[in-house]
Amino acid sequence: MKKFIYKGLMVALAFGAVSSCTTEDLEPTLAQSKSVEQSVNNVGNLFSILKGVHSLMSESGYYGQDVIITNEVRSDNTFSIGNSGRYTTESQYLYNNNTDLIWNNAYEVIANANIIINADLESLEGDTDYGAHIQGQAMAIRALAHFDLLREYGQQHTGSGNLGVPIVTEYKGDNLFPARNTIEEVKAAIYSDLEMAFSMMDSQFDDTKVYIPKYGAKAIESRVAVYFGDWSRALSAAEEVINSGMYSVISADSYVDSWQGDGGVNVIFELAASQVDNAGINGLAYMYQINADGSGYGDVVARPEVLDIYEDGDVRLGILDTSGDWIRNTGKYPDNVNFTNNIPLIRYEEVVLNYAEALLETGGDALTQLNKLPANRGASLYTEATKDNILLERRRELIFEGFRFDDQLRTGMTMEAVGTTGNVVETIDYPSYLFAWPIPISEMNANSNMVQNDGY
Amino acid sequence: MKKSLQGLLTLLLALVVQIGFAQEKTVSGTVLDEDGLPLPGVNVIEQGTSNGTQTDFDGNYSISVAPGDVLVFSYVGFQQQEITVTDSDVYNVSLLVDAASLDEVVVTGYVTQKKSDITGSLVEVGEEQLQEYAAASVDQALQGNVAGLAVSSSSGTPGSVANIRIRGISSITAGNEPLYVIDGVPISNGNVNASDATSSISALAAIDQSTIESITVLKDASATAQYGARGANGVILITTKGGKYGTTRFNFSSQVGFQNDAIDQPTPLTNAQRLELAGEAYWNDNRDFFASEAEAVDYVLNNVGLFPQWDADGRPESNWQQVLSNPDALFQQYSLSASGGGEDNRFFASIGYLEQEATVIGSAFERISGSLNFSKDFNPSLKFSSNNTASYSFQDAFLERSAYFDSPRTATYFMNPLRMPYNDDGTPAEIGGSLPNPLISTRDNFNENRFTRIISGNSLDWEIGGGFSAGAKFNVDFQLYNYRTYTNRNYGYGVPTSGDASQYDRTNAFYVFQNYLNYDFEINPDHIFDIKLVQEYQSSRSYFLGGAGENFADDGLFYLSSAGTPTQATSSFNDWYMGAYLGLLQYSAFDSRYVLNLSYRKEGNSRFAADNRWGDFYSVGAAWNIHKENFMANAGAVDYLKLRGSYGVTGNADIGLNNYQSLFTYGVDYNGEGAQAVSTFGNNDLSWEINKTFDIGLEFGLFQNALTGNFAYFNRKSEDLLLDVPLSQTTGFATQTQNIGELTNSGFEFQLTANIINTEDVGLSIGGNLATVENEVTKLPLDPNGNERTVTTTITRIETGHPVREYYMPTWAGVNPETGLNEWYIDGEGGETTTNFNEAEAVFQGGNSVPTITAGMNLNFNFKGFFINAQGYYAGGHKIYEGWHLYLHQTNGYPILAYNGYQSLLDRWQEPGDNARHSRFTTAGEPWQRHSKYLYDADFLRLRTVTVGYDLPSSAMEQIGMTSARIYVRGNNLATWVKDDNLLYDPEQDLGGETGLETPPTKAVLVGVNLTF
Repeated sequence: MKKFIYKGLMVALAFGAVSSCTTEDLEPTLAQSKSVEQSVNNVGNLFSILKGVHSLMSESGYYGQDVIITNEVRSDNTFSIGNSGRYTTESQYLYNNNTDLIWNNAYEVIANANIIINADLESLEGDTDYGAHIQGQAMAIRALAHFDLLREYGQQHTGSGNLGVPIVTEYKGDNLFPARNTIEEVKAAIYSDLEMAFSMMDSQFDDTKVYIPKYGAKAIESRVAVYFGDWSRALSAAEEVINSGMYSVISADSYVDSWQGDGGVNVIFELAASQVDNAGINGLAYMYQINADGSGYGDVVARPEVLDIYEDGDVRLGILDTSGDWIRNTGKYPDNVNFTNNIPLIRYEEVVLNYAEALLETGGDALTQLNKLPANRGASLYTEATKDNILLERRRELIFEGFRFDDQLRTGMTMEAVGTTGNVVETIDYPSYLFAWPIPISEMNANSNMVQNDGY
Repeated sequence: MKKSLQGLLTLLLALVVQIGFAQEKTVSGTVLDEDGLPLPGVNVIEQGTSNGTQTDFDGNYSISVAPGDVLVFSYVGFQQQEITVTDSDVYNVSLLVDAASLDEVVVTGYVTQKKSDITGSLVEVGEEQLQEYAAASVDQALQGNVAGLAVSSSSGTPGSVANIRIRGISSITAGNEPLYVIDGVPISNGNVNASDATSSISALAAIDQSTIESITVLKDASATAQYGARGANGVILITTKGGKYGTTRFNFSSQVGFQNDAIDQPTPLTNAQRLELAGEAYWNDNRDFFASEAEAVDYVLNNVGLFPQWDADGRPESNWQQVLSNPDALFQQYSLSASGGGEDNRFFASIGYLEQEATVIGSAFERISGSLNFSKDFNPSLKFSSNNTASYSFQDAFLERSAYFDSPRTATYFMNPLRMPYNDDGTPAEIGGSLPNPLISTRDNFNENRFTRIISGNSLDWEIGGGFSAGAKFNVDFQLYNYRTYTNRNYGYGVPTSGDASQYDRTNAFYVFQNYLNYDFEINPDHIFDIKLVQEYQSSRSYFLGGAGENFADDGLFYLSSAGTPTQATSSFNDWYMGAYLGLLQYSAFDSRYVLNLSYRKEGNSRFAADNRWGDFYSVGAAWNIHKENFMANAGAVDYLKLRGSYGVTGNADIGLNNYQSLFTYGVDYNGEGAQAVSTFGNNDLSWEINKTFDIGLEFGLFQNALTGNFAYFNRKSEDLLLDVPLSQTTGFATQTQNIGELTNSGFEFQLTANIINTEDVGLSIGGNLATVENEVTKLPLDPNGNERTVTTTITRIETGHPVREYYMPTWAGVNPETGLNEWYIDGEGGETTTNFNEAEAVFQGGNSVPTITAGMNLNFNFKGFFINAQGYYAGGHKIYEGWHLYLHQTNGYPILAYNGYQSLLDRWQEPGDNARHSRFTTAGEPWQRHSKYLYDADFLRLRTVTVGYDLPSSAMEQIGMTSARIYVRGNNLATWVKDDNLLYDPEQDLGGETGLETPPTKAVLVGVNLTF
């Protein structure tokens, strides 16, 4: 009997020796990922995250499609015919809190930007000047993302309330359940970020337009200031961009073609797209167009009156296709096969128009600035700079790029909900709760510090 | 203790004797059973040594021993006998049947147990039942045979994945799939497809059912805790066939038949109906413009879309539904096996072939498989066995997991029916627009899954002696998966890119190592113990490689080397590891009158941080075999009566890899350069999800076991749920995986079988099972203000006090007879109504998509070789939401102008006073609004299988040299009853909760033969 017990014990020992398995044996491999805490060690890592930030901005949930299209279909430029069922809800102002819009995307951008901004430059290897430039870029983008959130979710056009959106300046900070800051607080944070961004950046590092440049910070500042009617700020910010002499209005001859190519003289900042990296069928072109072979969602078409805003000979008519049942945008973001067009986010023309409007509001020479556009578009010059003329020129120039909705709201226009046949379903007087997007229900469920906008 | 002392003394004596008279001689004899028939394969061992042999075909043996040695004769199912060698050279032995072993032996995990020693809740499904249902994967056959087990297929496409839930949903975020174990070794399962868009392909479909001997489903903690972490959702033990000692037997079986959709799918509108509705919609929208409805119809006919052309062509019908279906789809399955064994070896070998077409064009599944199970006794105490199976599966998949316009299933409803499928010359029409003709795309494009799976399980078992045994197992599950797509350059989506193609390969390697040490002993025959220690290690490594390209110079080129423009190259690797130590104790007292089973398992998993990697799991089970009590001796009607109960803690770690770490992903790129972005919030505290299961049951057999059955109650409490807790998205993340939240599942299960007639010529038995499961979320995470963080979608919500993902949406109040508009209840529960959807409160609708009651019924009848087997299945208490209704089942422009609606839309409001189900038609498109009109009771009853057959008389068989022959006709899913008339789709749906455009379940009629020779 003993011998069996010995044998048994021997086998048991052999077990332990041969096959014991420790905690370390169960360590998983990190093949495609790295730890956040341990992998930001040099300036090159910051640049890699900055590229990630730009990539997130170009997703279809943000500038790749959503924020541009959502605003366009609610403006008097376009509406959704619901060809694939997309964007009818927005076109008809029937949205509810089940739609996320850019909430998650913009805060993802902010989260990654915060890792860059809060990195301790002194502890990183590499050129700290370049590091500071990257931190400035991240700060400018953080400002833009906060502004995008503010204009979509803030209560500035709802007739009551002063709530903006939560300002987030730390990655995994102490307060993971932030409440909404006021509109004024958010605005102040945006301005502060933009000023700081401008001071940290150095133009010598701006060698491509697919990353936000130093003067991009000023251009965004002019955009925000125009939106809120902070005219003197708008004036000085736009002036700095113009005085930099780095950009110019694209000429009439090149206007239509400039959308085919990337990095034009008028482009201050654009998001990169290429054959292998693009929003594809969830991008802008697929939403605006239908190809000859029938491919394309083509839900979003121009309203017929868009034709009337252009004079004959205006080169901008060249972006419209009037050959089908509907008027379509085939000129901006034209590549509907390989989807390779970069998405311009800041064009010099917008800054000029911001400047003109700021001049008008502050009593300066707006007309000269305003006429820089028709002069380069084959259109007749304005004889007078009025608010209406400036808004008209903005609409002509910036159509399909997502600006018109904000222009209409900030000037208190009455909006129209449009059905799939182009019929006006309802008119919505300014102000209205519908002009602020609902805070997504997922956010409301997760964070009871969050206050929902009225009406949802 | 007495016995082992005796054993020791005998041994000592033997040693002494051996030293004294070490004179070996050869003894021989014959081993017979009680009836005097020779017993081949009986182990004859000199006690305490490895010296031994086996009896031959005629029961003869010979062995070299010395006088005084003890020979031990043992054979499965017979009582062991010991004989001390004396002067004689011949020892004939007659072995007695072991009464205890008549007690059925069941595989219960790492051990096999007598039925009376089982303390847990388990169900064994035998070979015959498994083969009643014709499908590529064997899990489909479990439906209705196991109380508390619900199968729901993600699609009827052959080879696709079925979801199995045992006793409800135990987890919200982590997996709910049971663990699959083949011949004692855990294997990987689930979907292997690399694409989210095309048909899924199940790893289980790679296994040929005809090689499976039985399946045991473990349901309670006493049975599943030995599998620790992965046992929480139940365990499905698959036992493959082995060989038996004796002449080689061959078995051939075949099944051939055809299949159609189990129930008719929604009938699309005819073009005449479409015209009527379109005209009406124009009339409704433009009362000022048209003088009459007839004028509006004329307008449509002359002006709108394709109507004028259709009118000019003589108003043809396109019948897309018929054109795109594959009626009487082929099913064929063949298998040939051989089994047998020699004195020290046994084998089972088989080859199998299965082909199954889908009921829609362009999709099929094919599998060829082979297996070899071989065991060899190196010597009587050292046994080796190797179970090997290999298969190659091919699935012609299609885009079915959303409304992809290229899918024939989608096109049935989304294709504008005014477009004709064929040209006048009979060739498929090259239809323009965003919906290409599927007749061409299924012909010229492909989405193909190829799957090769090799499972090899090898084990060595060593009978050490003295009650000790030890062994080791090594198992490889090797999977090669290949996915290829091609879109032609001439027609359809491939035109803009001049054709495109992609190819992805995944290699999965799963290794399992197991070692065990077993010690059986008894203090005296009234107290028997069995202790087992197991050590287990499992690793999984997965390598992925793929690429895509476009722009082909010519047709017939499908590979990337011919693509002009490469558009993607990708590769990745991931892994996980599991280690465990397990101890099992079985104690059986007074001839199994009282049984106690204990298990303890320590398990570590790579999905958790080092400090939280190990978890402790255990179970306690007890059984009282009341029929063995003396006081039952006179209870004549009761043959078997057992009360059993168990409690145990199991775990669940079935979450994504690396979730505990805070990570950057480098899977983003920008401007042609690599980039990084945060991808996981991380949680170093992450650890096991815990399930605490209590189970009590009563099993009985009455009237000479003519009536057998059991009754059970269970309560499963899941704690520290691995939950993707919603975060404020201002963090940049939607969720973080945390251990928080609780839910319970509880229910009753009954199983009853009555052998009503059991004579030589006639047999009749009927049986049934019924199970209930009540699911409730009892705890969810709170935010800093103490508010519950619920999870809400457009149709469901997770909230405490409700089942997981109970349907939650505005309540439809019907169509207003005066205005013809849809109305909803403002507070969701009756009372005031509104026509503004956003004004209507979303409320709980009662029930989720998981059945709360399931039942199975079966009937077996035979008469002189003729037999009928039938089985039915019922599921109820759950609901199902209709997907895609905006485009196909609403009174807007989509179903009459763009796509094609169902004929049920004809029940629509036309004029004031109409009480209609559907509202007033309009030409406009509507936005998505999901509400209770499209939520249906999903209760259904289905006749799963009916088999009618004949076993040829054995006398006739022997004359032609065969052992047995069976011929039969089989029907699967021949009839279905659906409770809710408004539910147009098949009620047997994926647990996603929404009907889709996947292939529905099929009904099949098959003929088969089964020959043994």
